[in-house]
Amino acid sequence: MKILIQQIITGISIGSVYALIASGYALVYSLLDFSNWAHGEVCMLGAYVCFMATTVNNMPYWLSCVLGIGGAAVISFLNEKIAYRKIRNNGSPNMFLMIAAMGLSTTYQNLANVIWGSKFKQLPKIFSVGTINFDGIYIGTTDMLCLGLSAVALVILLLIINKSKFGLHVRAVACSSRTAGLLGVKIDRVIAVVFMLAGALAGLAGIMYGMKYNIYPTMGNVGLKAFIASVIGGLGSVPGAIAGAVLLGLIETVVSGYISSGLRDLISFCLLILILLVRPSGLFGVDVQEKA
Amino acid sequence: MSEPILEMRGVEKRFGGVRAIDEFSLKVEPGMVYGLIGPNGAGKTTIFNTITGIYHVDAGKILFQGKDITKVEPHQAARLGIARTFQNIRLFGNLSVKSNVEISCNMNAGYHLGDALLRTPRYRRVTKETEERAMEFLKIVGLADKGEERASSLPYGHQRKLEIARAMATNPKLLLLDEPAAGMNADESLELVEFIRELKERFQITILMIEHHMDVVTSLCDACTVLNFGKTLAAGTVEEIKKNPEVIAAYLGGDE
Repeated sequence: MKILIQQIITGISIGSVYALIASGYALVYSLLDFSNWAHGEVCMLGAYVCFMATTVNNMPYWLSCVLGIGGAAVISFLNEKIAYRKIRNNGSPNMFLMIAAMGLSTTYQNLANVIWGSKFKQLPKIFSVGTINFDGIYIGTTDMLCLGLSAVALVILLLIINKSKFGLHVRAVACSSRTAGLLGVKIDRVIAVVFMLAGALAGLAGIMYGMKYNIYPTMGNVGLKAFIASVIGGLGSVPGAIAGAVLLGLIETVVSGYISSGLRDLISFCLLILILLVRPSGLFGVDVQEKA
Repeated sequence: MSEPILEMRGVEKRFGGVRAIDEFSLKVEPGMVYGLIGPNGAGKTTIFNTITGIYHVDAGKILFQGKDITKVEPHQAARLGIARTFQNIRLFGNLSVKSNVEISCNMNAGYHLGDALLRTPRYRRVTKETEERAMEFLKIVGLADKGEERASSLPYGHQRKLEIARAMATNPKLLLLDEPAAGMNADESLELVEFIRELKERFQITILMIEHHMDVVTSLCDACTVLNFGKTLAAGTVEEIKKNPEVIAAYLGGDE
């Protein structure tokens, strides 16, 4: 029983990191109807920026984290500004956006390989104590940190989307960007800010992933998990993506804990296929046809 | 004669080899209700799309209050004071009725993301003002009690009115109505005529409308242009138009 509780908390913790990536991915999807495959690489680059700042340039850890998050936001913004915006505005099919994203993804991975090499790097842990004992239940301090920070970041994100004028504009553009434009909404600006927000969340996720595990050039593949989470929750829905991510984190942890960690990814991807076959609108069902 | 609020000079828009509008010119005086009529596919909606910046013209000029707006983007057109509704209603279906109007209301609302997160007094004031303004427009169209409902759940007639309220909330000087009476019966279109008249008086706006219901056109429009295959067939007052043999031929189908 105690082990199960431990597993559940670890699961929610890793799920919360997925949720940070998945919510940004879902936001972009809801606005532009395309799968931003470079999102995972933004997360990877954020982690490397933080790593460079703290271990190579000996900056204070908090500042390195801020730089990592900010760096990821800037990279995400530049992706949109330099690559996607042109494609959006020259009337190309959405497929082109996805292909451009794939190109960016591969470019960033190889660039990271060239600059930092393929060896695993690790971000220093913040706490000197690895685990805390709650009456026989051992919880990792890093896990708790991830969970706490992600929860705060996601609550802020949801508040922005649901309560602010900017959020109203985001929801309007997601509904119909053309109509929103005719009502005076500056669509390009809304999209640019969303990319920055998504990038910042991805940067935070990358740093926490680097604290929990390692940093390496292909760690952006964690973006695929965010994609699965997003599909589970219903593509384009931010709350759905968060719920899907936590669920996915739980399933993965339980599978690695009780069955085999080698089967973890297999189960995740089987789940993806299953959802696509049985309930393509996701568990929390934004209607797929309505969105497409 | 005063300076026209909207002027189109020799506007041309091609889609591939097809000329959707060809050598189209138009002058709308301030305070007018101007009708745009013609058979389906004549290019009426394309004209709306060029005015609002959704399409950019291939030739010609569009002036709004004497200012060249030929190359503006939709959000700029909105900010200059041009609002529109659509032939097939385009509300933000997932959002509440009130939110639909609030989007237009807070085009110029002044607060930053930081204000919103910290709930500063300024944020609260602006939010309250926006809400009040939105409610005011909902009251005008008689939807004040439906503010919290999802826009897509409203009946058709109400959706049309909501779309007009949303357009009006941008504070337009020129309102473009694309077939506002589409799908309405005689009583409903009569009500609509009254409603549009009220709007015009109350907000002192100029209206350019596309309409097929000739009774609506007759009772509202000061002047109109008849289009056929992207070209102006006739222009003048409604009475003149109705007598024009070419117009009758185009509508009723002349001898081939």
